[in-house]
Amino acid sequence: MKRSIFKALFVIFILFGFLPAYFTLAEAKSPEKILIGHPACLSGKYAKAGEQALGGIKACIDWVNNVYGGVKLEGKKVPLKYKYYDCESKKEAVTSFIGRLITVDKVNVVFSPYSSGLTLRGAPVTESHGMLYMDHGGANNKIFRQGFRYIVQTIGPATSYHQGTLNMIHKIDPKAKKVALAYEDSEFAKMVMHGAEEHAKKLGFDIVFKRTYPKGVTDLTPLLSALKATKPDFIIGGGHFEDGQLFNRQMADLDINSNALSLIAAATLPAFYKALTNMAEGVMGPSHWEYGVKYSAKEAKKVGLDWIGPSQDEFVTLFKKGLGKEIIPDYHAAEAGAQVLAYVLAAEKANSVAPDKVRAALGDLKFMSFYGGWDVDDTGLQVGHSMVAVQWQMGKRIIVWPEEAQTGGVAYPMPTFAEKAKGKVAVPR
Amino acid sequence: MLLEQLIGNLIQGLVLGAVYGMATMGLSLIFGVLKVVNVGHGAFIMVGAFITLWLFNALGINPILAVPVAFIVGMGLGLLFYYTIMQRLIKAPELATLLVTFAIGILLEETVKLIFGSEFRGYNWAVGKINLGITVLPMTKIYACIGSVVIALLLYLWFNKTRAGSAMRSVVEDSEGARVCGVNVGGTYALSFALGLGLTVASGVLLTMFIPVGINPYMGGGYTLKAFVIAVLGGLASPYGAFFGGLIFGLIENGSYTLFALIPGVEPFALTRFLSFAMLLVILLIRPTGLLRAK
Repeated sequence: MKRSIFKALFVIFILFGFLPAYFTLAEAKSPEKILIGHPACLSGKYAKAGEQALGGIKACIDWVNNVYGGVKLEGKKVPLKYKYYDCESKKEAVTSFIGRLITVDKVNVVFSPYSSGLTLRGAPVTESHGMLYMDHGGANNKIFRQGFRYIVQTIGPATSYHQGTLNMIHKIDPKAKKVALAYEDSEFAKMVMHGAEEHAKKLGFDIVFKRTYPKGVTDLTPLLSALKATKPDFIIGGGHFEDGQLFNRQMADLDINSNALSLIAAATLPAFYKALTNMAEGVMGPSHWEYGVKYSAKEAKKVGLDWIGPSQDEFVTLFKKGLGKEIIPDYHAAEAGAQVLAYVLAAEKANSVAPDKVRAALGDLKFMSFYGGWDVDDTGLQVGHSMVAVQWQMGKRIIVWPEEAQTGGVAYPMPTFAEKAKGKVAVPR
Repeated sequence: MLLEQLIGNLIQGLVLGAVYGMATMGLSLIFGVLKVVNVGHGAFIMVGAFITLWLFNALGINPILAVPVAFIVGMGLGLLFYYTIMQRLIKAPELATLLVTFAIGILLEETVKLIFGSEFRGYNWAVGKINLGITVLPMTKIYACIGSVVIALLLYLWFNKTRAGSAMRSVVEDSEGARVCGVNVGGTYALSFALGLGLTVASGVLLTMFIPVGINPYMGGGYTLKAFVIAVLGGLASPYGAFFGGLIFGLIENGSYTLFALIPGVEPFALTRFLSFAMLLVILLIRPTGLLRAK
């Protein structure tokens, strides 16, 4: 009897004493791979930005695995792997794919889809699983006011989008006072509008028009007619790609001319010019990154930041290879790629892939890459990255602001739509 | 100033309304004859938009010439879908036809996506503008409006002056009675479905002449919703009613914006949408046959 009790105690001791210790040891071992999960917007309304993000992520994973040699964990180089599903730019698909990525595919980190709405929709799912959620496409500041613990932003916050454009106009045309704001009625665009309005008032501009228009709008004529009546010096607005195209086109139809027009999200994409051709001349847009920016290892050293990642040209080559297409990456690609680099640095710093540890390391991280500066506050909001203003001039995107990042002068005032219809292009002052 | 804005918006609304009306006639025709609600309506409009885009950008063909091409393609698609699918579902429960037309819509969207990709495209056909002082009308919008009115008139003449049109009206009235009188009811169903889709695809061309950007495989959803409101407004089974419903819808959508803008603290655009759908509910409650009863 005593013997069998002794045997039972021995088995219990083994089970509850040694086995957990074994699993702890196994867990501490570096993984064979680090799997990144991503509900990507490859179709639907954000397909354009989604494709860019996919290319950017693939490019930086390629660089980490083949140039950098992998992620250094426990003295071992661990490769990055990438698992993505097409969420069709739909909220319900985002939640279901994030759930699948975490529970079935067992990813180590989840990258957000594009847009503030979709990013916000996925956050409660990652939070409930204690999973790190890297945000490259959700700029709305509100995402970071919900108390989420695992979300970290690489894209700049929405409130800063039009600040650079306002600063520029304030400097080059102090007489311009009347500003019109017309944004999409979405969380992201309204936050941009809020930031622009506050900043414009600070600089002494008069807000002569402030309206929103619904998502999926197919005709902006009534809103633009009302805007035209206020005779603004410059117009800022937009929401996403499709309404940006419509905004510009219908301004041309109604002959609404102003010294400057800046549209968020749409104006920086090549497809914008392709669809509107000459009508897009002189139109500006804020961008998180643009080909031509001058971030380099040397620049990083100057400002006392660590440098990681490919150079701008290497990134472009890897992006094209990743997508198998001859297209130039835009800021959607760069910010998505930069978050791969942020994750790699944080995982190395934490010497772990445990979401809590990597999240803590991301909070302390400051670095520079081809994308520019990277730093987040306690809530995970990006505070280390500066935006640039881009303008279409002679069919090319030119960085016109800030002055230290300029690749050309600003064309101000932009040509009227009647002039553009006759073939006039935007030429810098 | 306010009056000027209101009149300007009403003019714009009238021009847009004519195109909306034309874009709904196909939906009403199919429902009137076959009693089928084409939930995939917007996808056929999208096909028309892509035909215009492709003809203009790849071959340099004027969008006006794209109208007959789109009409023929729409008729072809109509005959194909009728004889392969719809014919078997004429007497099927309404849910079956709803699901089938929904599926056809998705099939079209995904096929177009496969061929052209999912990006938002556009074309730039600049043929001048007319400045009315209170508003500016691009010639492309005027052509689209004239095109819509001409097509609506041709449809009216075809219905009233041709043997096939009379046969179609008799099937709408009483399909069994028409059969007894020697009308080929099956053929009339096929022709109605093809004609309805031909009109819808052609309206896609006219819509891009009004708004030549934002062309993508999923652009039809918004137009489907509007088409249902317009169809109910004019009488779901009446193509002419749908045309006039479109005019009323365009006027209300554009005109109400100016009036709602007078209310402090509200976003007028949001209220114009609210008004459109409130109108749909009211008409369904007090006059479910629409403002113009089916003829």
